[in-house]
Amino acid sequence: MKLTQLKVGESGVIEKVVAPEPIKSRLFSMGITKGNRIKVIEHTLKKETWGVEVEGSKIALREEEAGAIEVKND
Amino acid sequence: MIKAVMVGQPNVGKSSLINAISNARLHVGNFAGVTVEKKEVELLNNRLKIVDLPGIYSLHAYTPEEEVTKKYLLFEEYDLIINVVDANVLQRNLVLTFQLLDMRKPTILVVNMIDELEEKGGKIDAQKLSILLGIPVVLASAKEKRGVEEMVELILKGFKCEWKIYYNDKIEDEIEKISSILNNHFQNPDLSRFYAIRLLEKDEDIYKIVHDLPIFLELYKVLGESIKRLSIEFDIPDVRDLFAQERNALAKSVVMQVLTPPPHKESLTQKIDKLLIHPILGLPIFLFFMWLIFQITFQVGSLPMEYIDQVVNNFANWLKTILPPGDLNSIITEGVIPAVGAILMFLPNILLLFLGINLLEQTGYMARAAFLLDGFLKRFGLQGKAFVPLVSGFGCTVPAYMAARTLKNPKDRLITMLILGFMNCSARLPVYVLLIAAFFPAYNAGNILFAIYITGALLGLIVAKILRTLLFKGEPEPFVMEMPPYRFPSLKALALELWYKAKIFIKKAGTFIAGAAMIIWFLSSYPKNPSLIQLYEQKMESAKTIQEKKALEEELKAKLLEQSYLGRVGKMIEPIFKPLGFDWRLSVAVVSGLSAKEVIVSTLATLYAVGEENEKGLIQKLRENIDFKTAVALIVIIMIYSPCVAAMGTFYSEVPNWAWRLFYTIYPNVLAWILAFGVYKLLERV
Ligand SMILES: Nc1nc2c(ncn2[C@@H]2O[C@H](COP(=O)(O)OP(=O)(O)OP(=O)(O)O)[C@@H](O)[C@H]2O)c(=O)[nH]1
Ligand SMILES: [Mg+2]
Repeated sequence: MKLTQLKVGESGVIEKVVAPEPIKSRLFSMGITKGNRIKVIEHTLKKETWGVEVEGSKIALREEEAGAIEVKND
Repeated sequence: MIKAVMVGQPNVGKSSLINAISNARLHVGNFAGVTVEKKEVELLNNRLKIVDLPGIYSLHAYTPEEEVTKKYLLFEEYDLIINVVDANVLQRNLVLTFQLLDMRKPTILVVNMIDELEEKGGKIDAQKLSILLGIPVVLASAKEKRGVEEMVELILKGFKCEWKIYYNDKIEDEIEKISSILNNHFQNPDLSRFYAIRLLEKDEDIYKIVHDLPIFLELYKVLGESIKRLSIEFDIPDVRDLFAQERNALAKSVVMQVLTPPPHKESLTQKIDKLLIHPILGLPIFLFFMWLIFQITFQVGSLPMEYIDQVVNNFANWLKTILPPGDLNSIITEGVIPAVGAILMFLPNILLLFLGINLLEQTGYMARAAFLLDGFLKRFGLQGKAFVPLVSGFGCTVPAYMAARTLKNPKDRLITMLILGFMNCSARLPVYVLLIAAFFPAYNAGNILFAIYITGALLGLIVAKILRTLLFKGEPEPFVMEMPPYRFPSLKALALELWYKAKIFIKKAGTFIAGAAMIIWFLSSYPKNPSLIQLYEQKMESAKTIQEKKALEEELKAKLLEQSYLGRVGKMIEPIFKPLGFDWRLSVAVVSGLSAKEVIVSTLATLYAVGEENEKGLIQKLRENIDFKTAVALIVIIMIYSPCVAAMGTFYSEVPNWAWRLFYTIYPNVLAWILAFGVYKLLERV
């Protein structure tokens, strides 16, 4: 499922990042890589901007990028 | 001399480490992208040179400032790499380390921020890490100056590296195939291997290097086959993904062996963020903080104002009696000192504003503000990250233009730079404080100041939107930004920073602004018209009362001023500003502001200094000479028109395109005039 389908506080393991380059490489380099655990910390009222935590760092990204991250919920 | 380069992901403390081992004062801040250009620092009597580079998340450079680092790594000469990593996010940082190790240059790993990890109860086994990576490892804390001497010693003493990091055998096979072709040309196995890896990762910079080589055709064929084989073998559409996963897995296994993780516990940052980036409360809290900064800037900053004014006045009067009478006496006591004093009065305001901006930078709130504002900025065709240069613009436009380098998309960057002038810089603060004090009720002063800054910012956003729809069609770049943990700024560092800012400001007032004031004074005092003076002296002699005499004296001064060089120039440009209610003196002041915005105040002080015997402050004189709607029009002009020459110079050097430079030079001034005129007319009606 998409990361944006998770609720605040929920987490999952990243399966795939489907964003186009070069944004995909940028997400990789920030730790958003297959196999890492990602957790939704917060999103703005309209869910336009998301805050996630991955391997100890917090990252803010837009809905479009967050939606490009596919996770396995557990 | 040994030359070392500092390389690491953003915000890991590279600049802080350099500050800790030298007496350099590199700018640091708790967000990614503080350093945006290379800075060289020499230490130990030039035995060692360290180059601070912008942080880089990976060798796939993404933003222009990362490009600076990558180009440096690839094409410049240096002896070793100091790879700085953040102990708290070791895994992510090691991914970059592996990319650097691919280069096979002498490298040491500095694990910074170890103080934070240990305080949380975590530990890193440096020895084991060193064995696993094959390079020396130093645990360090720039904050506590731990490990920094060790690092320098290691560099001076020299060290050995063993290359132990290899990828999956199947990947290494392909690397080998490509690098053996490359090696025919380069005769350097390490370099060939590095290029082979980068080529598999579709690195365009390396592609450009090999593109014109005689081996290219053969290389191209083999590379294509390798990429195909790897995609099939690993069932992955893009080999870049494969390398990312490989390095991530490697990093994970290394971290597992060397890190004793701290116990899981909700961190302070998590608690604070529950409130500060709350979906509903977040934005109001942000606005409150901004309001508070301006409120304090005005209210607290105005307290010592009169005192400073008094001291400067006394000093001028004292000097007047000491120096022999004559031109030199007047130029100093009537020209320079009052003008410089008029500026120095605002030092407290400026320091408080800088303190506010500094706290934003140092605490980590900057990235939160970017998060909160991203949705809002998106509507104007910008993105959250643009908040960083925009806020720096409240301090000074020059570093703000530089900070725009952190925006990837050239269109985004240009739009942001074109509207940065609307973010009122601190040099404009004295002018506003002066005008507000003169024309608005005191109880509202802080709010008016806040309103001016907000209006400027909103106007900038509207202009951004217009530029985006008319000239720069296309989507803004995606927004991805790290939110670092909150950090307590050290009081010492804050105090030092302010002291430094105060020194710069006083120096500017004492040199540049004093010089400008001297020129303005000279141009406004000469040429003297002897026949006019004679005529008035006769009139004064025949005057009956003291008042009459005084009045004549003032009249003479006004006449002389009008006939001065500056008066004549002023009269020439007056027609441009006449529709806004400006007299020639205001017109001159506005134009002089192009040199530096503070100069507006010193020019006003000189030009309205007619009849200084009556000891009225500049504020009083402004009230007598300018009406309310003119004052507002003046504020509007200052808010919008071109920034100072230093800022314009920076823009020109950052934007090489002539058409944009021309546009940038003209449009703010036209817009300023039109809006000021509109506001003036509007106020005329009410
Ligand atoms: N606790 C702690 N904080 C540190 C340490 N080193 C740096 N910091 C803080 O970390 C933040 C980032 O420091 P910088 O020196 O600006 O980092 P940088 O790597 O130069 O960052 P960029 O220029 O953006 O790439 C600042 O808030 C520093 O005060 C450390 O050893 N311990
Ligand atoms: Mg830095």
